[in-house]
Amino acid sequence: MTADLLTPSASADPYALFATLRAEDPVHWSDAHRAWLLTRYDDVSAAFQNKAFSNDRVRPVLARRQASGEPTAADRVLGLLSGWMVVNDPPVHTRLRKLAAGAFKGQRIAAMGEQISAIVDEHLDAFLAGSGPQDLVSEVAYPLPATVIATMLGAPAGDRDRFRDWSDELALVAFGTGGAARAERHERALRGLQEMDAYFRELVARRRAEPGEDMLSALMAREDEDRLTDDELVAMCALLLFAGHETTTNSIANATLALLRHPEQLARLRADPELLAPAVEELLRFDGPIKVLNRWVVADTVLGGRTIRAGQRVHLVLASANRDPAKFADPDVLDLARSPNPHIAFGKGIHACIGAQLARMETRVAVGRIVERLPGLSLEQEPVWKDALASRSMETLVVRHS
Amino acid sequence: MRITVDSTVCEAHGQCGVVDMDLFPLDDDGYSAVGPDAEVPAGEEDTALLGIAACPVRALRVL
Ligand code: HEM
Ligand code: SF4
Repeated sequence: MTADLLTPSASADPYALFATLRAEDPVHWSDAHRAWLLTRYDDVSAAFQNKAFSNDRVRPVLARRQASGEPTAADRVLGLLSGWMVVNDPPVHTRLRKLAAGAFKGQRIAAMGEQISAIVDEHLDAFLAGSGPQDLVSEVAYPLPATVIATMLGAPAGDRDRFRDWSDELALVAFGTGGAARAERHERALRGLQEMDAYFRELVARRRAEPGEDMLSALMAREDEDRLTDDELVAMCALLLFAGHETTTNSIANATLALLRHPEQLARLRADPELLAPAVEELLRFDGPIKVLNRWVVADTVLGGRTIRAGQRVHLVLASANRDPAKFADPDVLDLARSPNPHIAFGKGIHACIGAQLARMETRVAVGRIVERLPGLSLEQEPVWKDALASRSMETLVVRHS
Repeated sequence: MRITVDSTVCEAHGQCGVVDMDLFPLDDDGYSAVGPDAEVPAGEEDTALLGIAACPVRALRVL
């Protein structure tokens, strides 16, 4: 057997395929993906700690391209991405993560609660003003995190729509493209990202001159010697947008879908708002935003009797690990009060999501307000899932609120 | 306030470190390096409680 996660049926519901892989071939070579698929909780967990699996996967691509001639627009964008902490190993990663950590401190995020509630309510007001079938993704889940990130970085309100476009363009470039049909879109995305680069550069200059209460100012403020350069700050803005947008969109949309499909759990949450925090953890476990994370193999490794060679790729299947019966009792049951709940939707180890507290807050506020303000919410039609490997992502989630 | 980590329970989820890397240091493999008995600086108690609550396996607690 060779597993293909990109068939329409696997995109719509990958969990049966994951169960088969976990049981029959937990360290699986997939010809379709030309990568190893790790599907058991313990193997994925251990892989986060295994130094043979590297996150440094953009720099080698960039080096190969640069060796072959003049730098193009694509090289310049790849240059920006190659500086992201998420595609670096220690010690480069350690330094960037440490410099960014101050801006994500729990207290700073907690202080953003009211601002986030206001943004959520603004989007729900617009949604409630509509009637009949409406797409919760395009109306709420998709615009919301872009607005939060723009606000957080201290960008003027009028610029927020541009953040959404840039986020799409980043995803297109970062996840690569196949086939000539997409080449033109790729070119357009690169042009958009040059505009983004210039925009963030200006924002950085403005905050340097006039620091505020925003996260960008916090990223700049350092007492000690080492600090982020302007180039690094621009790359950081792009990373926060890339890492914090689609993930949170999917977290809100997938959570809402899971609740609509489990009316008894939805009723339980309505009756007991105290359940919100554990409920969001369970919803992230049950159908989280990230299906697969990628690692490069930098040293031969034997795992489950298989030899994984340097130069190959490994896919850590988070969505499968989170349904592993060896770790979670009744893993396919949605139990909003599940505790403890050591899901790995936010990854694990040194790269564990630095935005996790913010993402939790956004998802809690959004799900809490949706449940409270849309008592008549119902699913209008079966959602359409994107054929995406990395993310568990709906094209649309058509619902009605009355 | 004093806090502790049960290192037999910690699974290196790193969620405490996300809340505050100074209060909840992690070792090179991502396990908590809080140790058996750590003092929380005055004024940081609320942050410490946030970090403790963020641990999915309840490895951290107030002493
Ligand atoms: C529910 C929403 C989210 C999920 C499920 C999620 C998940 C993840 C995961 C699994 C990783 C680890 C990647 C790896 O190991 O290769 C990660 C890293 C990261 N996330 Fe998130 N994320 C979410 C929201 C956010 C938000 C809102 C932000 C910031 C605005 C953010 C910023 C980051 C950054 C900067 C990294 C890289 C950390 C590092 O390499 O050390 N994420 N995220
Ligand atoms: S959150 Fe809990 S499991 Fe994770 S590192 Fe901290 S103490 Fe350990």
